[in-house]
Amino acid sequence: MKTETKKILIDPLHTQNPITLQVLGICSALAVTTKLETALVMSLALTFVLTCSNTAISLLRNKIPSSIRIITQLAVIASLVIVADQFMKAFLFDVSKQLSVFVGLIITNCIVMGRAEAFAMGHPPGKAALDGLANGLGYSLILIYVGFFRELFGSGKLLGHNVLASVNEGGWYYPNGLLVLSPGAFFLIGLFIWIQRSVEPSIQEEGN
Amino acid sequence: MDFSNKYIVVFATILCLVCSLAVSVLAVELKPLQEVNKILDQRLNVLAVAGVIEGGAKLPKEEVEKLFESIEELVVDRRTGEVLLTGAEAAAVDPIREAKDPALSEPTPPEHQRTQLARLPNRLKVYKVGIEGHECWVITIWGNGLWSTLYGYMAISTDLSEVVGITYYEHGETPGLGGEVDNPRWKSQWVGKQVYDENGDPLVTVVKAGMSTHPYEVDGMSGATITSNGVKWMVDLWLGPDGYGTFLHGVQQ
Amino acid sequence: MQFLREQLDKVEPHFHKGGKLEKLYPFFEAADTFLYTPGSRTQSGPHVRDAADLKRTMIMVVLALIPATVFGIFNAGYWEMHAANPAVQLASLTVPQIVEAMLRGAWAFLPMYAVTIAVGGLLEALFSVIRKHEINEGFLVTSLLFPLTLPPDTPLWQVGLGIAFGVVIGKEVFGGTGMNILNPALTARIFLYFAYPAQMSGDLVWVANNANWVDGFSGATPLGTMFVHGADTSQYLYTWWDAFWGFIPGSVGETSFVACLIGAVILIATGVGSWRIMLSCTIGMVLTVLLLNAFAPRPTHYMAVSPQWHLVVGSFAFGTVFMATDPVSAAQTNLGRWIYGFGIGALMIMVRVLNPAYPAGIMLAIIFMNVFAPLIDYYVTKANIRRREVRLGLQ
Repeated sequence: MKTETKKILIDPLHTQNPITLQVLGICSALAVTTKLETALVMSLALTFVLTCSNTAISLLRNKIPSSIRIITQLAVIASLVIVADQFMKAFLFDVSKQLSVFVGLIITNCIVMGRAEAFAMGHPPGKAALDGLANGLGYSLILIYVGFFRELFGSGKLLGHNVLASVNEGGWYYPNGLLVLSPGAFFLIGLFIWIQRSVEPSIQEEGN
Repeated sequence: MDFSNKYIVVFATILCLVCSLAVSVLAVELKPLQEVNKILDQRLNVLAVAGVIEGGAKLPKEEVEKLFESIEELVVDRRTGEVLLTGAEAAAVDPIREAKDPALSEPTPPEHQRTQLARLPNRLKVYKVGIEGHECWVITIWGNGLWSTLYGYMAISTDLSEVVGITYYEHGETPGLGGEVDNPRWKSQWVGKQVYDENGDPLVTVVKAGMSTHPYEVDGMSGATITSNGVKWMVDLWLGPDGYGTFLHGVQQ
Repeated sequence: MQFLREQLDKVEPHFHKGGKLEKLYPFFEAADTFLYTPGSRTQSGPHVRDAADLKRTMIMVVLALIPATVFGIFNAGYWEMHAANPAVQLASLTVPQIVEAMLRGAWAFLPMYAVTIAVGGLLEALFSVIRKHEINEGFLVTSLLFPLTLPPDTPLWQVGLGIAFGVVIGKEVFGGTGMNILNPALTARIFLYFAYPAQMSGDLVWVANNANWVDGFSGATPLGTMFVHGADTSQYLYTWWDAFWGFIPGSVGETSFVACLIGAVILIATGVGSWRIMLSCTIGMVLTVLLLNAFAPRPTHYMAVSPQWHLVVGSFAFGTVFMATDPVSAAQTNLGRWIYGFGIGALMIMVRVLNPAYPAGIMLAIIFMNVFAPLIDYYVTKANIRRREVRLGLQ
């Protein structure tokens, strides 16, 4: 693999992670991660939208007049989000019910427009698609990490299966209610940021 | 690159056309499938509360339809208990939505305002479940808990002697506390509880966690007094004469 | 004494840079300064704004906590005995019964205290070694405050988990004592409150060993009763004087208003705790209650509960005296302290009365104002600078 391709693919997973480094997409990372299943589906939906929007914007990049480029990006992204939302309502009804408005809110997820504006507008479709995919995966990585721990310790389950038998089900495990609440996700993301920056000191922000 | 105004207008028009066309074609194409999902979801909840299937179990569409051949949907007048509509006409009625329409509803009487429902619909929907071994009435119940309105179903045996089941399909209560309203273990307590006293007044009720002694008392959820009270009050409303009481007692006689 | 000093001096070189026990220096330092006045002064932390030595400050707080602790231990034991045998009455306690109450209370409290010290101390030491700073005496206060805020029936594993969260998230992530914006003991308590609400609220947790209770004993705290019956004092299980002295079920250290008052006097007299914060907290509380009283729909409504009741039930007194005045997380400017305290008092009543889910308003109010304390200080300082500039005609 060429180093540039590798860089496009690897950076968003670690040193340029959209959530823990650029601190984008936090809202959905808190809202849909009480269960691993919803986190997984949300990750898929965002990765799909991001990859497609990056590709589409990149294909159009020489045709888009700069005076209306933001609204163009929005129109493309919004259409893709509606596509994803409609498909989920039709084929993944249960999950889409749990995700409720958050699929629709992918439109407002800064990662999508951020990548379109910062990357897809200046790169050929192949690279733009790869960048979309990689950023989607970087987002997914955090969502799955948060969803995993919140579901496991918050309700003693994984993907709906009992792992730690909780007291309410007649078992021994006292589910940790804090993890089910949104601040629980904040603490988990915070811990991730702490560990990530301790392992890789070069990504620490300048102190003041 | 500089583009002329004409180019920009044409570009924007084409973009809008393409996007809207793609989205609307897809929406129209997928609509029937989504409707089916919605109805299927609702029907699975009804089957679960009547004890026909286990809560959360998934059945294929055909099987659900087959089971529903023995289930009758009725729309009844809340005050007189008269049956207004049956069959497909009844299926199309949504009393929860009608409760928001001033023409189709009336204000909640003061003694039931603790449910925090502003209005009650004039028409209510009842499912008459005729599946063998599972004969019962299924009623829709809703009311406020701590943070949100809880929507659910309650099933009562045909002779109105006992509760067959209760389920909540939508709520926004605190997970682990009030959210335990959809915990199967909590819901299973309701099964077999006495519904009415000899005067036909609602009897089944929620008491403080661990304090239930009578055959009509259900333990509340520990640490969730307000949600427990919400459930108590909504059950009291919907089983009483301001809810399904008139209809249920009417068919009984 | 001379011998001890000589021994410490003898081993000291091993702990210095290059010595074989270099990594364990924080432990040596802790032992040394605990026994002897340190030769050097602390360079950072709360010290920046205070001339008193940190160690002395913390010891005064511990001293001020002693009345609340001793009373709390007795009270926890008394309620355990009363719940198991209603014949045990406060008015007719014999000396052996008082001793038994103390022992039972100690049996409930000391294990929680020990777990707090062990888990919290271990983490504290671990961070000291990794971060290469000294083990801080601040933990002495935190470790006593935290178990005092817990119901006597708290499972020990929850105590350990709570203090671990408090020390790591409440303090160490910010850089250790003096850098933390939140009170670590309170952070630990709130963690437990939200993580295990079923075991941290309700009527069953305030008296130890609820398996032994006789039928009909409810275990409800005055705050819980108040929540159910509103201002209808005839329904209350306890008198105002019960709550004032502290003969009510509740968290170990926070039932007695008097014990907290003694603590307040010690803190104010020694200049360790800010009287401004305590006073403004009370003013904020009273004014907000009066405001709510004016809007109460019925004289028996929860909103109509009088200020003197709000003063003695729940943990208002304990929180105001010992938590709100924490020198690290409170506001530092005098005007800032007034605003900070007033905010705590007002918010606490808002949460306690208007929010149906969280009657434990004081913890949330203090943590919330902890977060705002630096901002308040910033604007107070800035306003002061501007005033001086105007006075000098620079602006």
